[in-house]
Amino acid sequence: MPGILVVAEQMEGSLRDISAELIGAALSIKDQIGGPLRVLVIGATPDNLARGVNLHGVDEILTVTTPSDHFDPLIYEQAVVTAGGQCKPTVVLIGHTVSGMAYGASVAARLGSGFASDVFILGTADGELIATRAAYGNKVEMEMGFSGKGVVVLTLRGATFAAPDGGGSATLTALAVDMSGIEGVSTHVEYQEAPPSDVDITKSGFILSVGRGIQDKDNLPRFAALADKLGATLGCSRPIVDSGWLAKPHQVGQSGKVASNCELYLALGISGAVQHLYGMKHVDTIIAVNTDPDAPIFNVATYGTTVDLFELTEALERHFN
Amino acid sequence: METRVLFWSLSHDAIVAFYVIGFSAIAVFLWGLWRHIAKYRRGAANVSAVDLWAGMRRMVADVLSHRTLVRRDRYAGFAHMGIFFGFVIAAIGTSIITLEYDIVYPLFGVRFWKGDFYLLFSLILDLGHVALIVGILMMMWRRAYFRLPKLDYLRAYRGEGELREPARKWRREDWLFMSVLLVIELSGFTQEAVRLLMDRPEWAIWSPVGLALAKVFAGLGMSDATAAAIRGANWWMHGVLALAFTAAIPWYKAKHMIAVLGSLSMRSEKPLARLPREPEDKASAGVACISEFSWKDMLNFDACTKCGRCHEACPARSTGYPLSPRDLILDLRLYNDKVQGRPEEGVSLIGDVIDAETLWSCRSCGACQEICPVGIEHPTMIVQMRRQLVDRGEMDPLLQGALDAISSTGNSFGENSRKRSAWTRELEFEVKDIREERAESLWFVGDYASFDPRNQKVSRAFASLLKAARADFALLHEGERNSGNDVRRVGEEGLYESLVESNLEAMAGVKPFERIITTDPHSYNTIRNEYPEFGPTAPVEHYSSVLADLLDTGRLKVTKPLNKRVTFHDPCHLGRLNGGYDAPRQVLEAIGCEIIEMPRNRDNSFCCGAGGGRIWIPDPPGQEKPSENRMHEASSLGGIDVFVTCCPKDLTMFEDARKTSGHEKEFVVQDIAELVAEAVELEKLTLKDLPPLAERLTDAIATRIAEVVATRLDEVLAGKMAALATAPEAGSFTATRAVAPPAEAAEAAAEQPAAPVARPPEPDISAPPAAPPAADPLPALTPMDWDNLAPVTPADLGGYVAPDKTGLRIMVAVKHAAKLGDEYEFTADGRDIGGEFLEHDLNEWDDAALEQALLLIEALGGGEVVAVAVGPEESEKSLRKVLAKGADRAIRVWDDRLANADPVTIARALAGVARAEAPDLILTGTQSSDQAHGSTGTALARILGLAHASVIASVEWDGKGDLTVTRELEGGTRQVLSLPAPALLAIQTGTNTPRYATMRMIKQAKKKPLEVLDGAALIDGGGGYRVRRMYTPVQEKAKMLEGSAEEVAEQIAALIRERKGT
Repeated sequence: MPGILVVAEQMEGSLRDISAELIGAALSIKDQIGGPLRVLVIGATPDNLARGVNLHGVDEILTVTTPSDHFDPLIYEQAVVTAGGQCKPTVVLIGHTVSGMAYGASVAARLGSGFASDVFILGTADGELIATRAAYGNKVEMEMGFSGKGVVVLTLRGATFAAPDGGGSATLTALAVDMSGIEGVSTHVEYQEAPPSDVDITKSGFILSVGRGIQDKDNLPRFAALADKLGATLGCSRPIVDSGWLAKPHQVGQSGKVASNCELYLALGISGAVQHLYGMKHVDTIIAVNTDPDAPIFNVATYGTTVDLFELTEALERHFN
Repeated sequence: METRVLFWSLSHDAIVAFYVIGFSAIAVFLWGLWRHIAKYRRGAANVSAVDLWAGMRRMVADVLSHRTLVRRDRYAGFAHMGIFFGFVIAAIGTSIITLEYDIVYPLFGVRFWKGDFYLLFSLILDLGHVALIVGILMMMWRRAYFRLPKLDYLRAYRGEGELREPARKWRREDWLFMSVLLVIELSGFTQEAVRLLMDRPEWAIWSPVGLALAKVFAGLGMSDATAAAIRGANWWMHGVLALAFTAAIPWYKAKHMIAVLGSLSMRSEKPLARLPREPEDKASAGVACISEFSWKDMLNFDACTKCGRCHEACPARSTGYPLSPRDLILDLRLYNDKVQGRPEEGVSLIGDVIDAETLWSCRSCGACQEICPVGIEHPTMIVQMRRQLVDRGEMDPLLQGALDAISSTGNSFGENSRKRSAWTRELEFEVKDIREERAESLWFVGDYASFDPRNQKVSRAFASLLKAARADFALLHEGERNSGNDVRRVGEEGLYESLVESNLEAMAGVKPFERIITTDPHSYNTIRNEYPEFGPTAPVEHYSSVLADLLDTGRLKVTKPLNKRVTFHDPCHLGRLNGGYDAPRQVLEAIGCEIIEMPRNRDNSFCCGAGGGRIWIPDPPGQEKPSENRMHEASSLGGIDVFVTCCPKDLTMFEDARKTSGHEKEFVVQDIAELVAEAVELEKLTLKDLPPLAERLTDAIATRIAEVVATRLDEVLAGKMAALATAPEAGSFTATRAVAPPAEAAEAAAEQPAAPVARPPEPDISAPPAAPPAADPLPALTPMDWDNLAPVTPADLGGYVAPDKTGLRIMVAVKHAAKLGDEYEFTADGRDIGGEFLEHDLNEWDDAALEQALLLIEALGGGEVVAVAVGPEESEKSLRKVLAKGADRAIRVWDDRLANADPVTIARALAGVARAEAPDLILTGTQSSDQAHGSTGTALARILGLAHASVIASVEWDGKGDLTVTRELEGGTRQVLSLPAPALLAIQTGTNTPRYATMRMIKQAKKKPLEVLDGAALIDGGGGYRVRRMYTPVQEKAKMLEGSAEEVAEQIAALIRERKGT
């Protein structure tokens, strides 16, 4: 019996957005694949999380109870393989997240299944699954087939697929997973929260973000002042934080913060690595300034310009003085 | 007979005593001299090219003319002239007396110091001594009252509040030197005066100064008895002081009198313009300890007179950077005198004696060596110490990034080399490719003129001027690489050599050309002066002289003289290093510009601050940049229209500095080619139509025919396509691209129906045709389902056996990651990009993983790092790099069918190696910069059954027990966990700073073992997917705002106000 198995993702007991996005992605190919759509929820109290994934189109929710909510790749892998062995789905969808990256490929290697990561387009051709991911630094796209594989494990890009609207009426099934030999192999020690900061990217409605294009740390105060003047929150791309020019809370992107409430995003000298786009591409109005007309940032921006960043900044400073 | 008594009224014993003192003085002098020679002998061999005979002739000419001293400080020059010639006359005088009294007379009984010769001798000596006294007094006056900053030893640029002890000593020796000399001189005249007063010879007039003084003494009523007393005592004082002065010469400031003769004779033929090569057999790069300086360098240290001309000229010192060429030399001398040329245990020359910061402050502009009156070559010494710093990896991270970019892409912008001649596309004519067509001139463009948007405009202007003058020129296009001039001056000699090799190779393998022309003085310098040491090159010319010639011969006609007041900035590499002062000025005059010279012009030009690799190193905040300092200078001229440059780096630096220094409204910065373009009214010329008339006619006919044919063809093709469209689409499939469409793309979204309607075929022209892909060379994927699982197993790599383990072993997976430029084509089967469009370099994440492995091994005090790559032969470049950084062995697995293999296949190959190596820890990068699967490590861990963790920011390990690692989670949180070894960790970037591998280290790493394994066993259907096709996505592009920065700002401001009501 074919079907799709979605693995929900949680962080310390709360469901992450990617879970519903995976369900949305599954729904888009459900008819072509056939069979039920099942969602696997793993955690210390999975029933609490199950409600969150009981969305339109979900047929069954499988729950696996683990000793704690801390992510452990070996336990996730074992849970997915056990659930798969029972309901034999042809497609397994996992988030291409920090956690998903740590066990998606290991599930595939263990099964010998088809596998692709960071997939952002799903489809079928002649009843067979087709997945698309980017290649060569996101400049081109690559369409992949899995002919011959009765099981395909995919990790899907976040903030890409739309979550389904409306609740569902899935049944709830608890699943027993044998964790002997893997439990306690690695031990959680602690979480380290990023140092507190008065910057909150997630809450800001207007972000002025800077990237490598500002060239020099000395130029930073100037952009900080401009952000201040405009009433914008100062954000940045990862290299700026890695170089120690700005503190972590300023970082927009996958390993930083997602600009969830942002309506206007001014990207200055940011080329637009996927990592960064993850945190801002959904913003309603994006204005991008970059001298390279081929910079990927222009693929998500509403407005763009290739004029010299510093000349522009100077002109803006005059405007808002 | 006219002469004088030498030992007046001295007893035999007194004369003997005097001789004893005399010989002792000579002994002390010789001992001091010997100490110096012994010290120099401890130095390294001289590596600079020196033509000793020419050097000596130049030395004699310089010394006699005093031209190096009179330059830019006439007062000091003339004062020194007085002292020098006075001293030489005095020395010759004393020698003549010694010659007669101690040699010729005792041996041959001949006396010649008498008669007319004696009279002339007396007169000349009197005048010489007067000159000496005048010189000393002028110098004393200058030191006491001029308050010249260049004579101040306080290192204000280092925040020094009071003089350090050695500097106090210097000040004392300066005064001691002048005072003793003055006392000797005055006592000499006194002696002469009292002698004349007593002896009253009739030829006294031949000693005019002595006679005058004698008259003064007589006038003051000096008795003969007093005179005799003075004569006796003063003789001893004068004699002993003079001998003491002689004895002391090698021991303090006076040693310059001797050292200078050597240092002036030993000047390099092209100091700085041609840097010395690194001896191949050297254990460590450059100069790491004092004994690695050559004896010539050490001679340079001793020749320094602390005159401060370099201190005054240095652009770094002038703008407050911690470098004074004078103090650098004095610090080196001080230290060398202390250790006498011997390296000292526990003291690091760079760090303890000379700060790294001091060395990095240098712009390699050559202003210091240019003005140094004694031929010291400071910049060469600085570069040699920088070579050591680069070898140690102690450099600014941005500089390291630039060197990495040059090493992997051939340009400092890190751009794909195919983009090098992209600037020519906006020209209305084709620029020849020297690889295909011969041309009179090969234009070596250089990085800035090729890639920097502002300079590209200049390149286009110059290209159009050449075209307008019907000059025959061509480019190397992507065959050109960074010339290496600045790479060499940074101190990355190995990389420099490899750049020279590839440029020479590129230029050797093309169609014939007669000369090289360039707009870049840096490229000009190295091609002209340094490339010939590596291989044959054509003559090279800077575009300023090309333009001067075109204007002079009338091939470019000035139709609109500019009538502008301009000032011209001499680029260091064109002017000071190559003497190209006149051509740009000729050009400016020819186009009707009035040149107002800045105070610092020609050989005293003030560097823009970009040289010596400083263009890649950011200047610290809040500090004046040399370029800003120069802008103030230009502004002080008043009423200047244009600040003219003829160097791409100058243009970049001064365009910025004009704004940051607040002179934006006073003048513009323009390249000389842009001004010429204006004067010949280039925009009015239609360059396309330039070929001769006959050619034009045939062209026109051909174009017409082509148009007609094309229209027909279009019609035919359109018909065929319509027929095709009704047939079922082979490549069509149901798809969802659930991206939330950008705000303004609602319409587009409406057109793109939701699943499960077929996705419209990719209309992009660069995508392969929609026909079914060509047959896949790879076998079908291994079939499986839930009832027939096919767990992935390690690949069998032909029975590879790893060396025995002798300690801890860490395996690091390394990828030679691809970088795709803006222009590319797909392979014939449409499944990949053509290899020629890709450039590769060590994957950033793997670099971080390697660094982590090396840090662990270093912390644990031993062990082995094995790097493994799955890739073609080219990926050995990355393996050599990691071996150079410190990995011990490398293994490469390959089969040509593995191109762009999926992560499961790569993991199988790595697992095959890991099974044989049995490492205690495996590190991979979290992902690769090209494909970003982020999966290889995770799959590998599963195949090997290892505990594992991904996106790791830090690792702590004692080499035995559990590892404590930190995972970087989304949103900035980190999770600390512990897991048992052996384990696999996928390392995140940004958590360590990978060390730098110099080209020299990379070459040396060729000695480390690199094993190549056959990956044929991997071609068995064991992967996770098959690529169906690759294509360029159609992107919803942003609406581009057009106009000047000001106009765009206005639109953006309006958008911001509208959205946010700010």
